[in-house]
Amino acid sequence: MARESFDKEIQFLRMLVLTSGAFSRQQFAERLGISVHTFDKTIRRLKDVVSSMHQHLPQEQRKELSETIRFSYYDSADPLLLFLFRAKSVKESESQRISLLLGAMNEQALTAMELLDMYCGSLSPGLPLPDEKTIRSDLKYLEEVGVIKRESGPRPYRYRIQDELVRSLSDEELMDLYDFVDVMANTQVPSVQGYLLRDGLKKHLLRNQARQHAVEPFLYKYHYYSRILDEAHLFTLLHAIRQRRKVHFLYFSPKSEQSYVARSTNPLFERGTEGKTEKTLPLKIVYDHQYGRWYLLSYGREGIRKYRMEGITQIEEDESVNEAWYEEKKHELAEKIRYSWLIDTGRPVTVRARFYNPEDSEPNFVKERVRLQGQWGQIVMEDEHSFLYEITVNGTTEIKPWLRSFGSSCEVLEPARLRREMIAEWKEIQAYYESV
Amino acid sequence: MNLFEKIFNHQIISRLEDSGTFMVTSHERAWLKTMLDHPAAADAFTPGTLDKLRSILEPDQVMDTSRHLIEKARSQEQQVYHPLLRPLRRHIMNKTGIRLTYQIKSGRVNTDHSGCPYKLEYSMVKREWYLLWYHTRHHAFMRTRLKNIHSVAAEPMEPSMAEGILKKLGKKLDSRRSEAVIEIIRDYNEELSRILYAFSSFEKNVEYDTENDTYRVRVSLSADELEYLLSKLRFLGKRVRVMEGDYLKRRMLEASTKALDRYGVISEGEELSS
Repeated sequence: MARESFDKEIQFLRMLVLTSGAFSRQQFAERLGISVHTFDKTIRRLKDVVSSMHQHLPQEQRKELSETIRFSYYDSADPLLLFLFRAKSVKESESQRISLLLGAMNEQALTAMELLDMYCGSLSPGLPLPDEKTIRSDLKYLEEVGVIKRESGPRPYRYRIQDELVRSLSDEELMDLYDFVDVMANTQVPSVQGYLLRDGLKKHLLRNQARQHAVEPFLYKYHYYSRILDEAHLFTLLHAIRQRRKVHFLYFSPKSEQSYVARSTNPLFERGTEGKTEKTLPLKIVYDHQYGRWYLLSYGREGIRKYRMEGITQIEEDESVNEAWYEEKKHELAEKIRYSWLIDTGRPVTVRARFYNPEDSEPNFVKERVRLQGQWGQIVMEDEHSFLYEITVNGTTEIKPWLRSFGSSCEVLEPARLRREMIAEWKEIQAYYESV
Repeated sequence: MNLFEKIFNHQIISRLEDSGTFMVTSHERAWLKTMLDHPAAADAFTPGTLDKLRSILEPDQVMDTSRHLIEKARSQEQQVYHPLLRPLRRHIMNKTGIRLTYQIKSGRVNTDHSGCPYKLEYSMVKREWYLLWYHTRHHAFMRTRLKNIHSVAAEPMEPSMAEGILKKLGKKLDSRRSEAVIEIIRDYNEELSRILYAFSSFEKNVEYDTENDTYRVRVSLSADELEYLLSKLRFLGKRVRVMEGDYLKRRMLEASTKALDRYGVISEGEELSS
């Protein structure tokens, strides 16, 4: 069976989050490159996942999907898009069996035969009985993902759930662990595994009498909320990098209107798509904090290539390459991006800008922000009213928005071209508001 | 590592929840083990707990993500944890009152002011922690940087009073919200995705005018978020234009006028010297 792909769901959720409310069903489906029928089906499927994750909410709290994943700051620090990673399909009977087995191993260490007996005993009559092989393969899977552990001792082997993490900690310690996981998942990347762990710990705390109030003490301001969607590709790409393997995928440039297309078995239907098949060798992954976006930097026929993670669909691994050559390419890339504000590999230029201190305010928030966000740039001169900031960057395109975000507190001195561009742009902005 | 594991399936998870079973995978443990290497771990746990966790996770792997991942344009990480987080989160949990000694903007120190803690807030932009709390005597909603708090002690508070304050705070935060409408200039529709990403950290709705092929973003925000929105608007520059929101419009006009003043004066000087 082909591996289940979540491209459609990812593109779908991203669009829903970014354009919340902008499009009709028809427009939405068109932009995704799917039929309205598939659109409805996808929405139904995602709703199922969401409602089973929030099954304990009273009926009136179960909102529409678009409402549910609307960003609402003071409600909760729960990452609502996390449910995407709960969407892997599993047969009803299998989900029942696995949860029952885990429940049994929660209390004691058991052998495969004991589990089989227990399981058969708990089934309602008339249902087909599982065989020993099924149970053994379940155990193998659960051991592989690290959920259960085989106890040491002679055959027959006994298995028990691997929950030292909560079992050996006191309530106080569990609280500290929960907080740490919450903070790190929210402030570091990657975060999805952290959010999954947070979810498990939270439920565990709530089961043990903690109140809702106790598990949500933290808020995080100005998060890029859809960033966790792209972590879906992260581990596939990391695997390829570790194995020095090429990958191929269907790429939708963010500038194209469409962002997904149904996988078609008939090549005749592929003509109409805007996506482009790319084959490339992944070298590095970049997370851009300025927008909360992910990039893949790779090596292709034309040299260094850059892809936005959000445009990558139908990704698959390909052949591996020679180690020495791979290291060489990696080194080449490292040299090229040394001065990238984000990912620009253009010619390095030195940018000099004067920043003006706020007139009557202490602390100096301008300087504080330059120090925080100015990356490897240096403050080279200071007087009472202003300071000079200098940085060497590849091209000026990527740093420009940041400089502009300081408004009149920043004056670009060099290069002259950037200075002229800034002046022209401020003139345009002024014209927007002059009539006000 | 595949994030779409069968074991994370929603039906399995909700069944485990029903039977009260805690389940954790090696993926999550590897993540945790990696995070424990961060200096923040030392502030998050007592040394005893940290040792315990490290020994529990001893057989697990560490993620090698950081070898292949570069983070760009990130604010310098000043503080991920603050020593006051642990005591304060316990006061919040217990709904007790607090007595705070803290420094305000002017540098003056307020000693032993009573209040009720609400939440702890981390700013991803400033990379620092704030305490949101209610000042009992001033009847005011406060946001105080943890690094400006000199001391904090628990103070008894009637549970009914704490409940009342927390409820009131929730309502107050909602009522302080205002709306602004920002149009994406049509010439830049190609950059739509980038622009919408920039607004994605706000509570917002997007409207699409089919006839004119124009997008408008309706942002809902509280007064103290205006400065951040303004910095985003300047960041995006001529790509966007404020359609509704007089304060924002005025500030944008002011910023552009002042910026041009700066350039005007200095560019003349340059011409003379060159």
